Amino acid sequence: MRPLTLKRLLWTCGALAVVLLACMVLALNLGAVPISVTDLVLNLGRVAIGQSDQLPTEYRLIVFDLRLPRILLGILVGAALSVSGASFQAMLRNPLADPFILGVSSGAAVGSILATLIAPRFTLITPLGAFLGAITTIAAVYFLGRREGELDSTTLLLGGVISASFLSAIVMFLMTALTGRDLRGTVFWLMGDLSTPIQPGLQWIFSVGLLAGIGAIYTTAADLNLLLTGEREAIHLGVDVTRVKLVVYVSASLLTGLAVSASGTIGYVGLLVPHAVRLLFGPDYRLLIPASALCGAIAIVLADTLARTVAAPTELPVGAMTAMAGAPLFIYLLRRGMR
Amino acid sequence: MALFFLLQFCMPAPAQTEIARGSFESQDATPAARAFTDEAGRHVQIPANVKRIVSLAPNLTEIVFALGEGDRLAGDTDFCDYPADASKKPHVGGPVNPNLEQVVALKPDLVLATAINRRETVDALARIGVPVYATDPHSVEDMIASIEHIGKVLEAEKTAAPLAASLRERLSNLDRRISGATQRRVLFVVWTDPLISIGRGTFIADALRRAGAQSVVDASAEWPRVNLEEIVRLQPEVLVFASAHAGDTQHDIDMLRARPGWRSLEALRRGNIVIISDAINRPAPRLVEAVEQLARAFHPDSFARGGSPASRAQFAEEACTCAR
Repeated sequence: MRPLTLKRLLWTCGALAVVLLACMVLALNLGAVPISVTDLVLNLGRVAIGQSDQLPTEYRLIVFDLRLPRILLGILVGAALSVSGASFQAMLRNPLADPFILGVSSGAAVGSILATLIAPRFTLITPLGAFLGAITTIAAVYFLGRREGELDSTTLLLGGVISASFLSAIVMFLMTALTGRDLRGTVFWLMGDLSTPIQPGLQWIFSVGLLAGIGAIYTTAADLNLLLTGEREAIHLGVDVTRVKLVVYVSASLLTGLAVSASGTIGYVGLLVPHAVRLLFGPDYRLLIPASALCGAIAIVLADTLARTVAAPTELPVGAMTAMAGAPLFIYLLRRGMR
Repeated sequence: MALFFLLQFCMPAPAQTEIARGSFESQDATPAARAFTDEAGRHVQIPANVKRIVSLAPNLTEIVFALGEGDRLAGDTDFCDYPADASKKPHVGGPVNPNLEQVVALKPDLVLATAINRRETVDALARIGVPVYATDPHSVEDMIASIEHIGKVLEAEKTAAPLAASLRERLSNLDRRISGATQRRVLFVVWTDPLISIGRGTFIADALRRAGAQSVVDASAEWPRVNLEEIVRLQPEVLVFASAHAGDTQHDIDMLRARPGWRSLEALRRGNIVIISDAINRPAPRLVEAVEQLARAFHPDSFARGGSPASRAQFAEEACTCAR
């Protein structure tokens, strides 16, 4: 593998950003209501030069008020899940770690439903509850995964799977406390759904929280590279393991919590995107983290575009799309790892 | 990467909402927006002279047609099948997950929503400046009030008032007719596998009361999952099934007779079963018809004595429609 230079880092991220931009234009163009490409380009041009008031009303509503916020939410969620997946894989030295499989997503779901039940009028409490749920779960899974003081790969995975099913049972139990409109909304949200935009007041919190989370994890990228060789080895190489653990677990829980409170439990993105990035660009976390963020965004934007269009006007949950692609790939990785 | 977050910040949603709302008001330059508080307690500005309505539930579609305003309906849901013209309208998907793009593409100046729609759907439409009026009926009287409210919103009070009055009159006539009869203890079956019935706060529970019956299930949840053991203990006098296709339901009931638990139900063994049209599931004008049919099925004696031969013949005819 070629050594990572700043030039290569910037070129790779730049290229991925261009791909993401292309996917965004594609996603803006496709939907239940057909829109021609020339129209879209023309109107995007109008918006760019500040003449957005010249757009037809329903055109602006569909493309800029319905599709664009949804695409931006998909980018946030995809980046958050992929980066937290990548960092869990390094911290737990387990290539199959991912917020969904480890039960962290379900923990965030329990936290956010509990929060809504306790204080339904206080909007900020949902992401907060999701964050607390995520961080509690990852702590529990971490301790479940230790055997004789060492992290054991199989035990950890089993601990995660068991936590996930236990927490799903709690979700089912909590859902009996919801009625009518709330229940129907929650069912869709649990399947992984991007159709509900973030509450207006919370957009800043999500954007800033996401950037802060990814940024904080990025500061530990070099340490994560060393941690992959083993915890003891990393300590000998001068890594402050306790600090790295704290930063990564808190940030990854924040990212998962934000993603889940905004869009429910979307599975497998955090598992597969980092793997694909590793295959394409190598295992160096200094490139892996930003590239995973961009590729995760691309994956979710594409998956959601599919979810919006394959059965239009009926929408499928984006979580079903990612699971349909993700589960077979997970089995492939698992079997390859066994050999 | 920063570019995309910049994009996010370049498009602050609140500012856009202002633009959108402005455009909706300016579309009709002359009439001013009217302020309403809908049945869900939301404050909503609705333009005068509403021309394009999108209905997000079958019962709302029925109400709009009953008010004689079917022409103003620009779109409805996949499940809107009554009256026949309703299914010819452009559809926006199901009530629980309508396609918002499709709704907006129909250029509505009013969207009607109700309790079966998701709160998220209502909020998302309201946020981009589409006026949404939501109803929330918990009783037959609430349904009649909804007709009056929608009449006011559509400026169709002249049709709404007599419609509401005639529905209320039919209900009070019915009330007089069955006043002496003892209440039947019934199980309303929403779903058989698992057994789902109705809670006390639903309009169906109220419709049963109006028809001279009481649900044996007394739950606070709207659509409670009920333990069959409990029903066997309570032994309801009558089982009520709602169906658009009575034949299919008859087949299902025959299957139930063979099943443990169900076959221990006295009502099922004796054939004390009422299959009512699915109008009972929709808080719309036909709900009153369903109440009348139920009352006739629960208390045939009250209808046999008294009542002119003509009206009896009419009832018989209606009962046939019900069974068909």
